[in-house]
Amino acid sequence: MSKFLLALIFALTVVIADEGDKYTLGEGVKIPDIPLYVGGYISTDYTYFNEQKHNRYSIDDIAFLAYGNINKFSYLAELEYKEFYVKEWGTADSSQKHTELLVERIFATYNIDDNYKVELGKFNSPIGFWNLTPINVLRETSSKPQSSVLLFPKYTTGINLEYTHFLDYEVKINLLLQENNDLDDKYNNFDIDALYAFGLEYGRSDFHVRIDGGYFHSKQALLQCRDISYLLTSFKLDREKYQLMGEIGTQFFRDKMIVPHAGYLQGVYRLSEKHALISRLESYERYELFGDKENRIQDAIAIFGYTYRPLYPVAFKAEYQFHSQEDQERALFSFSVLF
Amino acid sequence: MLYGLEYVLVVNKNTAIDSLNVLQIRSIFLKKQTMMNELELVPINLPALHEARRSFETNVLDMSQSRLKSYWVKQHYQGHRPPLTMKSFQGLKAFIKNVDGAIGYIPSDAMDSSLKQVYRWSQ
Repeated sequence: MSKFLLALIFALTVVIADEGDKYTLGEGVKIPDIPLYVGGYISTDYTYFNEQKHNRYSIDDIAFLAYGNINKFSYLAELEYKEFYVKEWGTADSSQKHTELLVERIFATYNIDDNYKVELGKFNSPIGFWNLTPINVLRETSSKPQSSVLLFPKYTTGINLEYTHFLDYEVKINLLLQENNDLDDKYNNFDIDALYAFGLEYGRSDFHVRIDGGYFHSKQALLQCRDISYLLTSFKLDREKYQLMGEIGTQFFRDKMIVPHAGYLQGVYRLSEKHALISRLESYERYELFGDKENRIQDAIAIFGYTYRPLYPVAFKAEYQFHSQEDQERALFSFSVLF
Repeated sequence: MLYGLEYVLVVNKNTAIDSLNVLQIRSIFLKKQTMMNELELVPINLPALHEARRSFETNVLDMSQSRLKSYWVKQHYQGHRPPLTMKSFQGLKAFIKNVDGAIGYIPSDAMDSSLKQVYRWSQ
C-alpha cells in the first residue's frame, strides 16, 4: 500500500509540475482533457497530556480527492489513510501503523433544477455546520468538539435531497435517507444501517442558523438501545475580522437520554490574513454502559488556540485545553496542508 | 482605453434573467446557485488583481480577497471550483455573447446591444 501511496504522490507531483504557474495550492490540479480535478490533504499532530506526562504523535490523515462535473452531474471520491502512523510514549509506549486505504466519501450529485439537487453515495452528513468542513486544515483548531462525534453519524451512505432558495434570504432544506450498511463501516463514528434525517437552514447575509433532527439504527447498542434519535441546533456568524459559531444538541431513545446535551461556542478573531486567535467553550454529558451499570460522564472544556497560515491551505496550530474532568488537560500542535 | 467607475453585471441578451439582487449575485459567484430559469449559470471573473474584479468583490460580494481564497479552498474539499477567469473585458464579452448562462462584469460604457444588464454599481 505504501508503494501505491508513493506512486500516487509521484503522479500528482508530475501533474502539478506540468501545470506550471497555473497551479494554486489548495485548489487541486486539472487533469487535461477530462472532467477531473485531483488533490488531497495531509495532517500530522502532537498531543501532550499534562497530568499524565503522556505524549501522542500521529500522522492522522493522508487523503486523496478526485472530482469533476459534466453538465448537471458532478462527482467526488475521497480515499484516506486514517491514523496512518501513531506513536505514544510516557505512561505507556506503543507504535501503530494503519495502511488500509479507506473510502471516506464517494458520491454523485445531480442538479435537478434551480432549487433541487440530489446526492447519491457516501458523503458528509449535512448536519450542523462543523460537519461539512471536518478536516484539520479547514478547521480553526486541531481538535474537534465532542458534539461533532457524539450526536449523529458523520457520514451517510444513501440519498440527500436538497432544496435551496435564494432571494432576499437563503433557505436550505435537507432530507437524508439511508436504508443500508455504511459503504465503509470502519469510517464512521456510528456503525449504522438506517438513517432518516432532516435539516432546515435560514441565512441572511453573514448569519446562518440551522436545525437538524433524525433517527438512525445503530448496529451496536448504545445503552442497550439501537434506535437512536438526535436533535441539533446551530448558528454561524462569519464576518471579515471574526467568526462566531455554536452548536448544541441531544441524543435519546424515546424518553431515555443517551447524550442529554453536547455543545460548544467558538469564537475566531482574525488578527490578519495569516494569524488567528481561537477560543472554544464546550460542555457535554453522556451515559455509557460499564458492565450492567450506566455511568454518567460529564466534562466542561475551555480551549484557547492560535493558528498561523502562511498560505490559507497550510496551517500550523497550537491549542491548550482545560477540562473539568481530571487528567484531561492537554496541549495540541498540528501541521496540515490541503493540496 | 479609459473606463469610468461604473460597472454593470451582464448576461447574454437571450438569457431569461432581467435583474438580480446582491444575494442572488453572491450565490451565483460563490457557486451556491448553479442554475436559474432551468439554465446552467457560468460566472466569469477577471484576473485577481484587476481593478474591476476588486470593485466587484468589495462592493457587490462584500468579501476580501483573503476571505474568498479561504472560501474556495473549503469548496475544493467539497468538489467545487471557483468561477472561470478571462484575461480581459473583450474576452469576457465575447464569452458571454456565445454562452447562454454566462454572467460577468464590465464597465458601463462597454455595454452593447448583444448584452443585457442585470445589476449596476459604482465604485
